[in-house]
Amino acid sequence: MPGFGQLALAIGQAAALLLLAPLASGFCRVLRAKIHTRTGPGFLQDYRDILKLLKRQEVVPKGAGIIFRAMPFILMATLLLIAMALPVLTLASPLDAIGNVFTFICLLGLVRFFFSLSGIDSGNTFAGIGASREATMGALMEPVILLALFVAALLAGSTSLGQISTSFRSLSGGSIAAEIAVLFAVAFAVFVEMGKVPYDMAEAEQELQDGPLTEYSGPGLALLKWCVGLRQVVMATILIGVFLPYGAAASASFETLLWAALAFVAKLVCVFLIVGVIENSVARNRFFLTSRSTWAGFGIATLALVFYLVGL
Amino acid sequence: MSVSTESRRGTGYVAALRQKLPSSVLDESWQTAEQATITVTREALPEAVETLYYGHNGWMSVVVGSDERLLNGHFAVYYVLSMEGSEKSYVVVRALVPPDTMEFPSVTPKVPAAVWGEREVRDMFGLRPVGLPDERRLVLPDDWPDDLYPLRKDAMDYRLRPEVTTETETYKFINAAKSETTVVPLGPLHITSDEPGHFRLFVDGEDIIDADYRLFYVHRGMEKLAETRMGYNDVTFLADRICGICGFTHSVAYASSVENALGINVPPRAATIRTILLEVERLHSHLLNLGLACHFVGFDTGFMHFFRVREKSMELAELLTGSRKTYALNLIGGVRRDILAEQNLRTRQLIGELRGEVTRLLDILLSTPNMRQRLEGIGRLEKQVARDYSPVGPTVRGSGHHRDVRIDHPYAGYGSIPVGQHVMDGCDVLSRTLIRSQEFFDSITIIEHCLDNAPPGPVLVEGFTYTPHRFALGYTEAPRGEDIHWSMLGDNQKLYRWRCRAASYNNWPSLRYMLRGNTVSDAPIIVASIDPCYSCTDRVTVVDVRKRDATVIPYKEMERYCRERTNSPLK
Repeated sequence: MPGFGQLALAIGQAAALLLLAPLASGFCRVLRAKIHTRTGPGFLQDYRDILKLLKRQEVVPKGAGIIFRAMPFILMATLLLIAMALPVLTLASPLDAIGNVFTFICLLGLVRFFFSLSGIDSGNTFAGIGASREATMGALMEPVILLALFVAALLAGSTSLGQISTSFRSLSGGSIAAEIAVLFAVAFAVFVEMGKVPYDMAEAEQELQDGPLTEYSGPGLALLKWCVGLRQVVMATILIGVFLPYGAAASASFETLLWAALAFVAKLVCVFLIVGVIENSVARNRFFLTSRSTWAGFGIATLALVFYLVGL
Repeated sequence: MSVSTESRRGTGYVAALRQKLPSSVLDESWQTAEQATITVTREALPEAVETLYYGHNGWMSVVVGSDERLLNGHFAVYYVLSMEGSEKSYVVVRALVPPDTMEFPSVTPKVPAAVWGEREVRDMFGLRPVGLPDERRLVLPDDWPDDLYPLRKDAMDYRLRPEVTTETETYKFINAAKSETTVVPLGPLHITSDEPGHFRLFVDGEDIIDADYRLFYVHRGMEKLAETRMGYNDVTFLADRICGICGFTHSVAYASSVENALGINVPPRAATIRTILLEVERLHSHLLNLGLACHFVGFDTGFMHFFRVREKSMELAELLTGSRKTYALNLIGGVRRDILAEQNLRTRQLIGELRGEVTRLLDILLSTPNMRQRLEGIGRLEKQVARDYSPVGPTVRGSGHHRDVRIDHPYAGYGSIPVGQHVMDGCDVLSRTLIRSQEFFDSITIIEHCLDNAPPGPVLVEGFTYTPHRFALGYTEAPRGEDIHWSMLGDNQKLYRWRCRAASYNNWPSLRYMLRGNTVSDAPIIVASIDPCYSCTDRVTVVDVRKRDATVIPYKEMERYCRERTNSPLK
């Protein structure tokens, strides 16, 4: 059982990420508007959008069942659970019991599973196509994450996310090349998982009218938009919390946590800045050609394994 | 109007037709030196059109129906062909349809390009093209009464809104695939164009097996309105409103159709001003389409930048016409406003800025990593399909055909201007996009040339009289392709019949072939590549799968083609 302090930290960081998510997506919108040379909405627009949607009436398609209704809640709960287990401010995971590679991958899979299932359940053709794309993206990206995390676990000698983060902090894995390759593979996977152009396959607005999101409205849509933002923040956190843990607190005192929080926000802004620039300077990939570029990610992850084996 | 015999162009086609069908050619009249109307017997109509179309390099421009019972006791159908062989001219094949049977043999089995025109004649006049393979409604809504034909002279007042006859949609979408497909409805409001058009994509996974579409949701009854309510010069302003983007080309086409019918010579300065504004409109339209091409592939940065630059072309329009759209400048006989010295200067400055900015933007666009990958090989319009359906503008030029009204049938001031012609053989979206970007720079050169060489003099002729029942064609190369207007003057200061045909009307029917074999994700960019204009066509539906010699391809063959996608039965 985790102690009270750890539990409080876990809940606190999940709540913070949740509250931060609309700000992060608002930041993306501002950046996008700047690159488009338009004025655009402010940083807080996504909070306003979510609040407005929460007040609206919800319309559910006739054929939709329980999965369609439950999906936003399941998604939110799962993402919050991941957020609780990630090492955000501290080097160790606050909830070590679920803060390991396997749970993490399973929870990510769960998110994807329900996301695409609800698309099929809504009965809408566009949502259906979006769902099948989401599933395909899963099949393409999961091997990359799996392999990269396993190499990281081998390097750290443990599957605990906290241990991995500590080992990346001190570079004690014994193979610098492998650690760098893992970092790149994870960064690539994180970018794809954030669902940004050119990899926003499932929700491609011009092609599929937002895919699985098509049929949602009102509070359901508000929750989902929040989840999409939260998922991006969580994915960014796995990169900067576990693989770039510089500035993270080794011990949980108030002052170190404060510095860690500042460092975390700075890193988060950097990640979103880079992602935003990439996202706005390319066109969407053709869906059928996606697998060609995702192989690059798998290649890097494989390279990491090779580096580890030869101990470079 | 008497046209001197020696100046005529297109006599060879008439002679050839007389030789091929000696006893069927009843009459021959010349509206201008390059416009001939040949009246043939009803039975010979399909063969006459086919001879000109496939035998003499003719392209179907428009099919006009007309209720001429007050003039000669019959209905008439006019098949307007743009002859682009050795002589460049328009030849119109006309046949009379008796009001008792209201039947005439359909041309569509021989020339597929006639399909929309014949369906429209069927809707609007109740004439029956016998043998027409697709007898669904084209223009009229599904809930329109069966026996009300709006364009007949004795049918209805233009204000009449008949009671709807059914509450449900009865339109049958055609699906040539026999194997199981999922239906993806796009519409009634198109997702990213945000315009009314109902598409049905029949897909297997993500592959489009077949597509069908229903348009004309916003038919505005302009032809009826012009014929019953407006004076000749009012219609120039109505023609402006046909399209929100290329309105000026319509009003030039309309004005020149009346000018051609009456033999009015527009002063050279007015012709030059029309040319300048036609090209300003092309700048505007091409920038819009290039921007949308970015938007449809998810490259919104490009979209926004093209729209920012497009603002300059609207400033140009405001400078030269007084409104942000190139509206309200034309009159029959010339234009209403001259271009003054300071406007001339400012125009040069603006197009200079446009040239610089667009050059940079296109550089960025074409070097964007996956842009080319998204456009290359997508939405192929095969050369033969293009030949069969007579598409126009960048759509047909992207499939290797040399068609441009500005060069083939010079109008306004184009006779004395060097116009570059850009033709590519890629047959895909990339070709069409590249052609647009090259034409953009041509337009700038043409505007500069016109500003340098504008002749002095008046900008309007007046004092002519309207002679009843004269008729002629007016034509322009709009940014999207040939616009053509056929006008017949009346005896009550109103048009007896006005048929306006926008460029998209000719491009829609071939779209089905462009969509086949692509993926759902490419559908929007393919639709956008013909730069469709919903409101100005406002007229797609489909054409059955058939060869030029009218043998129906059996479903089995189609099914095989859908599966294996080799040896297209369309070739």
